[in-house]
Amino acid sequence: MDIELSADDLKFRDEVREFFQSHDYKPGEDYAKWRLDWFKAAREKGGWDVPKWPQEFGGPGWSPTQHYIWEQETARANLPWDLPFGVGMVAPIIMTYGSKEQQERFLPDIRARSVNWCQGYSEPGAGSDLASLKTKAELTEDGKHYVVNGSKIWTTMAHIADWIFCLTRTDSSGKKQEGITFLLFPMKQEGIEVKPIITLGGSHTVNTVHFTDVKVPVENRIGEEGKGWTYAKGLLAHERTGLAGVSRSLVALEKLKHQAGTVKRGNGSLFDDPSFRGKLAKLEVDLQALEFTELRSLARAASGQQPGPESSILKLKGTEIQQRIAHLTMEAAGPHMAPWGGVNAGPKFARGGTQSYLGSRAYTIYGGASEVQKDIIAKNVLGIRSQGGSN
Amino acid sequence: MNFDLTEEQQLLEDSVARFVADKYPLEQRRKLADGSRGYSEDHWKAFAELGWLAVPFDEDDGGIGGGPVETMVVMEQFGRGLVLEPYLPTVILGGGVLRRTLAGDQRADLLGKLIEGKLQLAFAHSEEQARWDLNDVTSSAREDGDGWILNGAKTVVFNGGNADLLIVSARNSGGQMDTDGISLFLVDPKADGVKVESYPTVDGLRAAEVTLKDVRVAGDALLGDAGKAWPIIEAVADEALLALCAEALGSLDVMVKDTVQYTQERQQFGHPLADFQTVQHRLVEMFMEYEQCKSLVYRATMEYAQNGHEAARTLSACKHLIGTAGKFIGENAVQLHGGMGVTEELRLGHFFKRQLVIESQFGNSDFHLEQFAA
Repeated sequence: MDIELSADDLKFRDEVREFFQSHDYKPGEDYAKWRLDWFKAAREKGGWDVPKWPQEFGGPGWSPTQHYIWEQETARANLPWDLPFGVGMVAPIIMTYGSKEQQERFLPDIRARSVNWCQGYSEPGAGSDLASLKTKAELTEDGKHYVVNGSKIWTTMAHIADWIFCLTRTDSSGKKQEGITFLLFPMKQEGIEVKPIITLGGSHTVNTVHFTDVKVPVENRIGEEGKGWTYAKGLLAHERTGLAGVSRSLVALEKLKHQAGTVKRGNGSLFDDPSFRGKLAKLEVDLQALEFTELRSLARAASGQQPGPESSILKLKGTEIQQRIAHLTMEAAGPHMAPWGGVNAGPKFARGGTQSYLGSRAYTIYGGASEVQKDIIAKNVLGIRSQGGSN
Repeated sequence: MNFDLTEEQQLLEDSVARFVADKYPLEQRRKLADGSRGYSEDHWKAFAELGWLAVPFDEDDGGIGGGPVETMVVMEQFGRGLVLEPYLPTVILGGGVLRRTLAGDQRADLLGKLIEGKLQLAFAHSEEQARWDLNDVTSSAREDGDGWILNGAKTVVFNGGNADLLIVSARNSGGQMDTDGISLFLVDPKADGVKVESYPTVDGLRAAEVTLKDVRVAGDALLGDAGKAWPIIEAVADEALLALCAEALGSLDVMVKDTVQYTQERQQFGHPLADFQTVQHRLVEMFMEYEQCKSLVYRATMEYAQNGHEAARTLSACKHLIGTAGKFIGENAVQLHGGMGVTEELRLGHFFKRQLVIESQFGNSDFHLEQFAA
């Protein structure tokens, strides 16, 4: 048991830093071009564009320590924007359950970031109770197509997405987890309507998506008909560990400390306020613990063991910490949390602070609400076999 | 970076775990706690034979050269049984001072006896007004020819009543809060002017009030250099803090698991308690706090092994979380055990009481949050 980084690890860290520096965005550059070039250069480093992909699909095959170093460095660096839906979410499903043909067809574009994906899971009547979804997919008589009808909600970035991976119901006669089929189809086609949902922070990232008689070729089905829930479930667990955001929180906390130091209070700063400083300190203690919880989880994964009990708490604790940071940032702005829009009043971080706080309320709702996470931990980790509870 | 125990560490853990499972059912603990010394001298002999008393000492001193990780391994298992034997006062605190200060024959003699299980120690440092400020020392040491005259009062000295030798801190120069000017002395509890009043603590252990009135000690009773004891006090306090956190971790695991089990057995309203979602969610919250504690105990121990006192901020983080999580887990474990939780019959309540005392030792959670934020 030790925390020393080996000479190789330190060399790797320097290499990562060097890469970020030499490929940093220069003001005035064409952003879209820079973005795609960046991923290309990362690919040439040996899979740095897809750190979490298995080696057989082009991933770098890093040790957990290397992953940890990467996480730490990326949180501080200026990386090109990247949505999680392609590389992080649909790709692992295609790798695990897709046919060889589907892998060859979809993975290259996903990897190059030339195609944007969105996730069609939640429905107006099915939130954290995902399996009760109703969007219908009916096979045509010739057996060549599914015809999709229904609605999805909270679909992040559907308005810019080229493709959607979608859970649909092909059979409603059995248990709700059965009869779900996993389909992939293009978003820019007749019968698909995307409507924006404006969230509390005033931004447009999520949408409702309506399908009317959308035709999907059967070769776009992943795996077997009716087995989609099994495929999606594995991914959900994966999505949840990725939602802890520990490295980002570490950086956000540093920023918050700096900001609190710039807020005046009498002759000193907000940092001298014992109550504020106490909250900040408590937050940092919890984050230090979570950072090691994540490392323990990584170490286990790397030695090829099943995820340990520590992995299950990452999403719950991680999102709670992200919310606390957002809340303290808003609190630090004091009366200046209120001015909205392009107003010039109070500290610069104030507007962003209020907006991130409002946005952060969703963290404990998406990816399985915290209450559902607790049900899952009670059952799967603590081994409680409930007979009369809600789950 | 690596979270696995070495083969030797794993063997150590297994042997302590076996001992605890074998010798520490609640009934036996109760008998020992009520006995004349409050622990078993046979157990202490066994500790010596199994090499546990040798863990933190160098091989040159007859030890096994273990570090913070080995101590953590031992203390975590002790925590699972609420072990009464004074490992912390004698081996960690007392031994920690002696191995940093003694030389020559005196070193060979005292460390040899300690490792053989023939020496009990107590660290008489804390004073009533100091609360947890380690530098707040008013007891005095005055040079007197080739010896010293000691005066002062020390409070809640664990193992004080059983100690063959006391390690007493006293100030030979400087003001009340100065880190400079504190010295450490070896004091025979039977010497003239020493009064040791032993009493039980709420968790079944023993502590003592120690007063020194014009106690004369010889020159070789001074441990290390006069007035320069601060770094030694700091070091043994760091190690005691880590040991307590590891002990607490073992206890917390037992409390969480006992509660998960009990709520699945206990029937109310025609259901096991664990059928109720409100109970399940509370259990999950307890479990999450435990996992977070485990992470910080590992982190603090590994950082201390690497960087010594520079890791002090992480040690404070760890003690803070152990304190708050310990209270959360303990109180909820009692709550979910219902009426049985507030009785002496279940082991749970005894774990809870030990947790409360750990929170009171070497700085509580508020104290350490303040240290962390400073």
